[in-house]
Amino acid sequence: MKQLDDAALAARARSGDRAAFGALVERFAPQARRVARAVLEDPDDADDAAQDAFLAALTKLDQYDPGRPFGPWLLRIVANAAADRRRRRKVRRTEPLDLELAGGGGMPDATTERRLLGERLRAALAEIPERRRLAVVLFDVEGYSHAEIAELLGIPEGTARSEVFHARRRLREILGDAWRREP
Amino acid sequence: MTPFEHRPDPELGALLRAALEPSDHAGFVARVVAAVEHRDAPTVDVLARWARVGIAAAVLAAVAAGLALHRSTSAAAVDDALTGAEAGAVFAARTPDASVVLASWPER
Repeated sequence: MKQLDDAALAARARSGDRAAFGALVERFAPQARRVARAVLEDPDDADDAAQDAFLAALTKLDQYDPGRPFGPWLLRIVANAAADRRRRRKVRRTEPLDLELAGGGGMPDATTERRLLGERLRAALAEIPERRRLAVVLFDVEGYSHAEIAELLGIPEGTARSEVFHARRRLREILGDAWRREP
Repeated sequence: MTPFEHRPDPELGALLRAALEPSDHAGFVARVVAAVEHRDAPTVDVLARWARVGIAAAVLAAVAAGLALHRSTSAAAVDDALTGAEAGAVFAARTPDASVVLASWPER
């Protein structure tokens, strides 16, 4: 099952093969959960949205074009599910982390430093508009092209480029020294 | 690498990935697969239960409705019949004159 490509798995899943659907979940869960978490800061909300998206994808498999990559098709559903959940539940935005507090204090060991940097990054992401956040995560984390991101988010390719650019710039501004790199 | 760069930034990507990385991958996969099975199974069970209960309820309802309709129709027919000359014919102490009863039908 693991050797089958995405389209073949999708075709099997569409015909009722639950093992094939499970293989797709296994394959795309990390991406889906990261993208959902880029929209919803709360990890539990993000996982709920990712699960909703997988269930929605299962019912929409007949709309999937096997000639195209499965990932962007699925992630579009994930992004919509996460955005819907955010709107529907009026998800409480976590109070932006005090970046000074998160960044300072003592001489943290490597693990603590990584954890703090992760918190700073999540807080920094929360400061960026949703679409911009998605764009930079899809580009720099998931490795999608601007064209794919444009299609996935339903925006022109130039806008996708611009969103990635502005997100990167804002992240650099917010993270400052934590990034330790000059723009 | 500048923000204008059109290639993914591996360092930023790694940082973001680490920040967004979910835990318990196997648990999540199991949860989604279970949700699919749960979604499928109850549908069938519920339909099966509803099929049995529904058929019984439908039969009962049909019988009850049939009886009610029959009763109301019969009562109305008797009420209609028990007017005028026919009533007198039905309740008369003596044997009714058939011509009185039959002659009133074409007028309805």
